[in-house]
Amino acid sequence: MKKLPIAIALCGALTSAASFAEVRINGFASIVGGKTMDDDTTLYGYDNDISFKNESVFALQLSADLQDKLSATAQIVARGENDFDAEFEWAYLTYEFTDELQLSAGKMRVPFYRYSDFLDVGYAYRWIRPPQSVYNIPFSTYEGLSLLHTSTLGDWDSTVQAIYGGYDGTIAVVSVNGDTELNDIAGINWTLSYDWFSARAAYFVADTSIAIENDTDTGIALNNLEQTLRGAGFAEQANDIAIDEDNGSFFAIGFSVDYNDILFDAEYTEFEVDNSALAKQTQYYTSVGYRMDEWTVHFTYENNDDEHDSSRYNALTAVPPLNQGINQVLEGSKAKSNVYTIGTRYNFHPSAAFKVDFSRFKDDITDTETDVVAVAVDLIF
Amino acid sequence: MRKLFLATALTVCSLNTFAEVAVIVNPANSNQLDANAIKKIYLGKSKSFDDGVKVNPVNQDGNSVADEFNDKVVGKSGSQLNAYWSKLVFTGKGTPPEKLSNDQAVIDFVSSNTDAIGYIDSAKITDNVKVVGKF
Repeated sequence: MKKLPIAIALCGALTSAASFAEVRINGFASIVGGKTMDDDTTLYGYDNDISFKNESVFALQLSADLQDKLSATAQIVARGENDFDAEFEWAYLTYEFTDELQLSAGKMRVPFYRYSDFLDVGYAYRWIRPPQSVYNIPFSTYEGLSLLHTSTLGDWDSTVQAIYGGYDGTIAVVSVNGDTELNDIAGINWTLSYDWFSARAAYFVADTSIAIENDTDTGIALNNLEQTLRGAGFAEQANDIAIDEDNGSFFAIGFSVDYNDILFDAEYTEFEVDNSALAKQTQYYTSVGYRMDEWTVHFTYENNDDEHDSSRYNALTAVPPLNQGINQVLEGSKAKSNVYTIGTRYNFHPSAAFKVDFSRFKDDITDTETDVVAVAVDLIF
Repeated sequence: MRKLFLATALTVCSLNTFAEVAVIVNPANSNQLDANAIKKIYLGKSKSFDDGVKVNPVNQDGNSVADEFNDKVVGKSGSQLNAYWSKLVFTGKGTPPEKLSNDQAVIDFVSSNTDAIGYIDSAKITDNVKVVGKF
C-alpha cells in the first residue's frame, strides 16, 4: 500500500517534468600539455617549462526545448588559463520561425572565422589550436542578436548569418587590460557548401573604443605622445593615436576541401581600426591534411603582416620632434611573422582524439624563431 | 577449439559485411525518400518530409548496423560524424538524432510514431514498419 502513493507521486513528477522542458547536457574537454623548446622563449602562453593548464578547457552545455519553436542554451566554460574558473560564455534563446530561419538573442560568439563558432571544441578540427596568426582577435563573444538562414540551392547548401550587438569588457591590445567598448557590432557571414567543398566570406564592422593603460612600455609611450599632441593643440593627430570611437572593420574569406581523405583549408583575413595606433592586420593560412582511417597528418603555413598605410606617416612635418614620435609609434606597431605547424591526430575512441602538434614561429622583424610542441586529448560527451 | 572460435568469428564477420540496412518509416508515411534525402535528414540538413511533416529521425547506438548505415548512406565514419555534430551542437545550430540501442527499439519507435524514420538490419523487417530503401 505504501508503494502506491510513491508511484503516483513519481508519475506526477515525471509528467510535470515532461511538460516543462527536456534538458540536454553535452560537453567537451581538451587537456593540452605543451612547452617551448628553448630557454627564455614564450609562445601561445607556454614557456620552457611544460604546462598542462594554459590551453586546457572543460565545458558543459545545457539546452532546453521550451516549446515547439523556442529553446534556451547555455555554455559554461572553465579554462586552465583562468584557473578553471567556470564562466557562462554562451547564453541565448533561439526561436525557430521555420526550418530555414532562426533568431537567437543573448550572449554568443562573433562568427569571425570558419572555426570561430566551435573554437574551443578541439574535437571538431585537426589541430590542437586553429592557426593563431589568423585566429587572433582578442575577444570572442558579444551580446545581441543573430539571424540564421539555411537553404538549399540544388546540390549546394547555403547558410547566411547576420549579427548585431555590442561588447563591453577588457581586451589585451597594446596594454594588458584595456577597457573596451564595441558598439553597433554588425555583420554578415555566408557559407556555401557542396558535399566535399565549402566556401565562406564574412564582413563585420564595429564602433571601437579601447582604452590604452599605462601597464606596458608601449602603452606608456602611446599615452605620453597622445597627451603631448593634445597639449600642443594637435587634437586631430592625438585622435589618430587613441582608439576612441573609431571604425573597426573585419573581412574574411576562406574555403575548405574534404575529398577522398585529402583535406585542404585556407583563410585570409583583414582587420583594421581606422585613425588609431593599431596597424592594419593582414593574415592568412593554408593547411593540408591526409586522413588514414582514424589517423590524420597535417601541415600548415600561416602568415601575419601588420602595417600602417604609408599615408599615415609624416602627419606633422611642421613639428619635427612630434612628427618623429608619431612615425615611431606607427613603426612600432608593425609586425611580420610566419608559422609552420606539423601535426597528427588519432581518434583512439569514437568520442576522443589524441593530438601532437609542433609549431615553429618566426618573427621577421626581430629575426627570431620560437618552437612549441604540444600534446592534447580532446573529447566530447 | 581455437579454430572453431576463429571460424565462428569469421562467419559472424562475413555475415555482417553482407548484411543489408533497411531504412524504415511508419506505414502511414507516404513520402518517397532516396539515399540523398535520407542522408540529408541524418545530417540535419533537411528537417521535414516532402509533405511538410517535421521529421523525427533515430540512430542506433554505436553498433554494427549504425556503422553500416553511416558508411553506406551518410558516407562518414563514426568519429567524422561526431566531429560534424559537435560543430552544430555547440553552436546551437542542430541536435543529432536520438540513439536507440537496437533494431527492436527502432521498430517499436517507428511503428508508434508517424513522423519517425530509422534504420535496421534488413533481416529484422516486420509488417509494423514500411521500408523506404535498402542499402
